[in-house]
Amino acid sequence: MLLGAWLYSGVASAQQTSLARSDRDATSSVPAEVLVVLAKEEEGKIDPQLKKLTALRRPPFNSFRSMKILSKPKLTLTPGKDEIVSLPNGRRLKLTLLRVMPDGRYKVRAAINRPNKSDYLPLLQVVASAGDPFFVAGQSYQGGTLVVGVTVDPQKTSK
Amino acid sequence: MESAKADEKLQMFFDGELSPQEEAELRRELEGSTENMAELRQWEQMREAMHGAAAEWTAKLDSDALFARIEAEVSAPELPSEVERAPVELRVVPGGRERRIWGGLATGFAAAAAIFLAVLAWPEEPGTTPLQMARGTEVVAVDFGANAGTVFEVEGGAGQPLAVIWIDDEEMGMP
Repeated sequence: MLLGAWLYSGVASAQQTSLARSDRDATSSVPAEVLVVLAKEEEGKIDPQLKKLTALRRPPFNSFRSMKILSKPKLTLTPGKDEIVSLPNGRRLKLTLLRVMPDGRYKVRAAINRPNKSDYLPLLQVVASAGDPFFVAGQSYQGGTLVVGVTVDPQKTSK
Repeated sequence: MESAKADEKLQMFFDGELSPQEEAELRRELEGSTENMAELRQWEQMREAMHGAAAEWTAKLDSDALFARIEAEVSAPELPSEVERAPVELRVVPGGRERRIWGGLATGFAAAAAIFLAVLAWPEEPGTTPLQMARGTEVVAVDFGANAGTVFEVEGGAGQPLAVIWIDDEEMGMP
């Protein structure tokens, strides 16, 4: 009987610890990085910083022959709080951390629009594991295409 | 005394220790006893709960690593014991039925507890995670608005899927 009670209390305690950890994670901030790249089909340089991002050499990006990093702002995502990143074409990328999933991944909401308009990407929800980027591409800019990569990574330092 | 015997028989029935004849006889008796049926159901629920918990914990257990560790510990040389083991004190516990029932339950709990503690205390090997975490990024909802768009999946450096949301830029006069 005592053993059963002890085991039950152990399980309950472990569950409470897990829940407490989950709650703490869900309310704490996490660093993120936005990568704004201008990609062009004409021959040119690929920014050396992008060499390790092998995804950018695969379809649908493999038609680009030059890539230049325009900006790489770091920010801190706080659950429920919008973070705004200005893009070079005048639009703004709005990022919101919605929640930390039970498996540790991050549910992020993104939108790209001009101020007070919903002209481009009204809504996007992505589930991302730490350190893995998602990309939003297709905006025309200076004869090329903007490729915006967003990475949520607790190991990155923000701002 | 009669009641204790009946309870013991019920426990044996629950454990599947009765002969087919005895079992059939008891089944007939049980049909008329809501109290005994309720007790049996309670035991069954407890057994199912323990089985469920044990199955869940063992599913998370890295059995290869566990057996490797057991094998290593078994084959390790035995260290001389400095302390003489104290003689075990035996005492008479009244109530044979309770001892039998709770003895069975305690054994189950002890087994479950051992597995549970093994899972909790098992040291992680460098570079491995006990539970495989999902990697990559995936789109769960998207609204392209008035534009045409496509969701791609591109392979990342570690082979993980990365989401690409490609939206045609309809606005021609953009700077």
